[in-house]
Amino acid sequence: MAQKWLKDINFLLIFTFLSLTAVSILFIYSSSYEEPANYEMRQLFWVSVGLMIAFMIPLLGYRTFLNMSYLLYVISILLLVCVEIAGHTRYGAQRWLSVGPVIIQPSEFAKLTTIMALSNFLGSNYSWEREHKVIIGALGLILVPMVLIMKQPDLGSSLLFIPMLVVMLFVWGIRYRYIILAFVSVATAAPILWIFLKEYQKNRILVFLNPKLDPLGAGYTAIQSKIAVGAGGMWGKGFLHGTQSQLNFVPEHHTDFIFCVLGEEWGFAGSCLLMAMYGILFHSLFQIISHTTDVKAKLLASGIIAVVFAQVFINISMTIGLMPITGITLPFVSYGGSSYLAVSIAFGLALSIHKERSIF
Amino acid sequence: MRYLIFRICIYLGLAFLLGGLFHTQVIQGQYYMELGDKNRMRLIPVEAPRGRVFDRNGNLLATNRPAYDIVATPEDVTPDVIKTLSAMLTLSNEEIKKRLRSPREYPFAPAVISEDISQELAFKIEEMRPDLAGVEIRVSGLRFYPYGETAAHIIGFIGKINKQEYLDHEEKGRYGFNSMIGRAGLEKLYDEELRGWRGGRQIEVNAQGKLVRVLSEKNPDPGKDLIVTVDLEFQKRIMELLKDHHASVAVLDIKTSELIAMASTPSFDPNVFVAPGLESKRLSFIKDKEAPMLDRGISSSYPPGSIFKLVTALAALETGKITPGTHFFCSGQFRLKPGTSPRKCWYAQGHGNLNLYEAIERSCNVYFYNLGKLLTADEIAHYARELGLGKEMEIETTNISPGLVPDSAWKKSHFKEKWYQGETLSFAIGQSYLLTSPLQILRLVATIASGGRSIEPRLLRDPSIPPDTSRVAITKAHIEIVKKGMLQVVQSDYGTGQLARLDFGTMAAKTGTAQAPPLNSHAWMTGFFPYEDPEIAFVVFVEHGGSGGIAAAGIVKGTFEIWKEMYGPKVA
Repeated sequence: MAQKWLKDINFLLIFTFLSLTAVSILFIYSSSYEEPANYEMRQLFWVSVGLMIAFMIPLLGYRTFLNMSYLLYVISILLLVCVEIAGHTRYGAQRWLSVGPVIIQPSEFAKLTTIMALSNFLGSNYSWEREHKVIIGALGLILVPMVLIMKQPDLGSSLLFIPMLVVMLFVWGIRYRYIILAFVSVATAAPILWIFLKEYQKNRILVFLNPKLDPLGAGYTAIQSKIAVGAGGMWGKGFLHGTQSQLNFVPEHHTDFIFCVLGEEWGFAGSCLLMAMYGILFHSLFQIISHTTDVKAKLLASGIIAVVFAQVFINISMTIGLMPITGITLPFVSYGGSSYLAVSIAFGLALSIHKERSIF
Repeated sequence: MRYLIFRICIYLGLAFLLGGLFHTQVIQGQYYMELGDKNRMRLIPVEAPRGRVFDRNGNLLATNRPAYDIVATPEDVTPDVIKTLSAMLTLSNEEIKKRLRSPREYPFAPAVISEDISQELAFKIEEMRPDLAGVEIRVSGLRFYPYGETAAHIIGFIGKINKQEYLDHEEKGRYGFNSMIGRAGLEKLYDEELRGWRGGRQIEVNAQGKLVRVLSEKNPDPGKDLIVTVDLEFQKRIMELLKDHHASVAVLDIKTSELIAMASTPSFDPNVFVAPGLESKRLSFIKDKEAPMLDRGISSSYPPGSIFKLVTALAALETGKITPGTHFFCSGQFRLKPGTSPRKCWYAQGHGNLNLYEAIERSCNVYFYNLGKLLTADEIAHYARELGLGKEMEIETTNISPGLVPDSAWKKSHFKEKWYQGETLSFAIGQSYLLTSPLQILRLVATIASGGRSIEPRLLRDPSIPPDTSRVAITKAHIEIVKKGMLQVVQSDYGTGQLARLDFGTMAAKTGTAQAPPLNSHAWMTGFFPYEDPEIAFVVFVEHGGSGGIAAAGIVKGTFEIWKEMYGPKVA
């Protein structure tokens, strides 16, 4: 009995999840220990809530969530509409919603529920039947939350729906000609989209292309975060010994720019460690995919990998100046209740897929 | 197969990130480490020069003059420096330390120690700089209003941004901790246009805080200039005319809707709000019982008194209650019903039998009491609103008083009482709860003068604003009747405004003497010139000035004499 139970647990996944969480707490502490707000304590609270949820999900089973996925999707869309109406404005964007003492960011949950709904939808259709209709349906599913989030305005988060859709359609079995068509149409649509961007969003993209454009605003952050990461060198300045991030050169250093703190204090060695953790995380998720025969489960895990990877890639790229600055958090590591809860739920779903895997 | 491709893509992505990190941290690590070494990189914001304000003839009403400020980078300042500075500036050590500790926008941003110091002192400090680590002289642009109080209410003034305002503004690049922000008038309303965009430099400095090289630089983008419609010379001479009154005069070009003058006395010197170290003077303006900060033309509303008879007359004509030939007899008093207490005409002996033209000409209260008996309060209120009373104005300034046009619904919601017919009588002669600002009266009279064109007085030369073309819903023929009545006010020997009669053309006007117990009445006069094809409209308001036909008419005459000197040949 106990053996059976042990078999159901994916220790590698739990190990990477807990390690990433530990790194998160360490660097939230490092980035904010000189400030009165106890961000690391608050994050510990969210970690305990998140872990509880994550370990409860396998008891319910991921299929329950997939069955409810359309309902959850509609709820999260409604929450996004609430943000539009009664949202909380921080740093000029309405992304937050106050529920009692807690402020939640519904876009974090919308990503997850959209993955679930897409898995359910794509998994219920075969790629060799009515393919174009399914593609249109899938597009509709992501466009609603995408547009709502873009209006907040949170361009970065809304763009995450694109890799989500591309990856899920790809593993579902979409024909290559559609992929090529999509690339061509994006290339033509980009200049049109440009017109609809807000001034500061345009600035960010322009500044990305030329950081010297605006040394006071977005360019300042770009240069400073690059300096912070670069100053870490090979071995870093040591934990709590960073100066760039500590001295507030880098804004948002406990949320979007938390990687600056790690990069500066632990250097390239720390970066390698973090990359290794993400590598193991993705590896174990791919293992889970290869051990299940449930198409919906495969799609669900692929969507999770796509979004988590896109966030890691964009977040770290922006801190070293390879991508424009967007408000995208580093999954597992950045401070933020909603973001951590969302990855915890995703983690719980992955554990459940593993538990209910087909034994071969 | 597809999962394998996906998997490989993810691993390649992670490898790409590692490569990028290796490049930044290991290959370029040394360079960034030096740059990041905390004394080596600084950000110096450069404020954009604020846009200037010109009058219609190109005279500068608001500009920037160079000022010398002492700033210091607290991280570089040593205790000796504080001592030396304290001796030179006659500031206590503690005061200097306090200023060094004031909140700053960026790490290593210089703190302001003293603003607008003399040139001599600036040069002296510049000479001593080798001994004053971290101290610098910065040349900044200080707002300057060359004509002081002449157009103070129109231009307004600016002041240092406060914490809340800083937080409220999203575009952080435009507002710094020490930026100035518009506080009143055009400076406030057009702050966005005037302020421009800040620039800045990111520099690398050596251990002594001296510039090594500029890493990146962005020049500030100066603010836009504004041109106001006012003629400064005209305005200045009107201000002299009003010197001893609490009064407001506004003159409007009817063809273009441009205000040529908009004066209000007493006034204040806006420079006091901009130059540093004049807090006590600022407070004295703000607390002054004479209220010099108040623009009496726009920001405050008063009962219009007999001026309002123009509206009552139009309401009676439009509703078909009277024709211009309708006669009423004035015995010097009027009773609503037999037995009620009588209301007096201002002319106790009585005006006798009058038609509408004569009633306007002599401003007979009894005639208009009779109209008030024929009309309801809601009918009068409707036409008052149609002519722009009780309505916001579009004029380009701040603190615009909307005035108040009462009606039965308003009274019900404010006093929980029904409207009494007796109140309609007061309403008909411009008393009761009615309040109007002088500029609203100007808008009304300009509309009448133009035969019913809706006119929005403008203060800013802005070609993007479309000209006023819409009309009020009042019959042109009825407006012409009222205009003829206004002509008689000035030209007839019985007219209440004959003191304003001009020898170089015919003016049409209406006087008003609004009761303001317990003090002296407010004096009003408004009208247009010339009667045929009107070019300008005017309003004169004298707070507690007494009779409109005497106090206000005198100022009207004075204003037109100035106008004739300045613009005369064109008309004569």
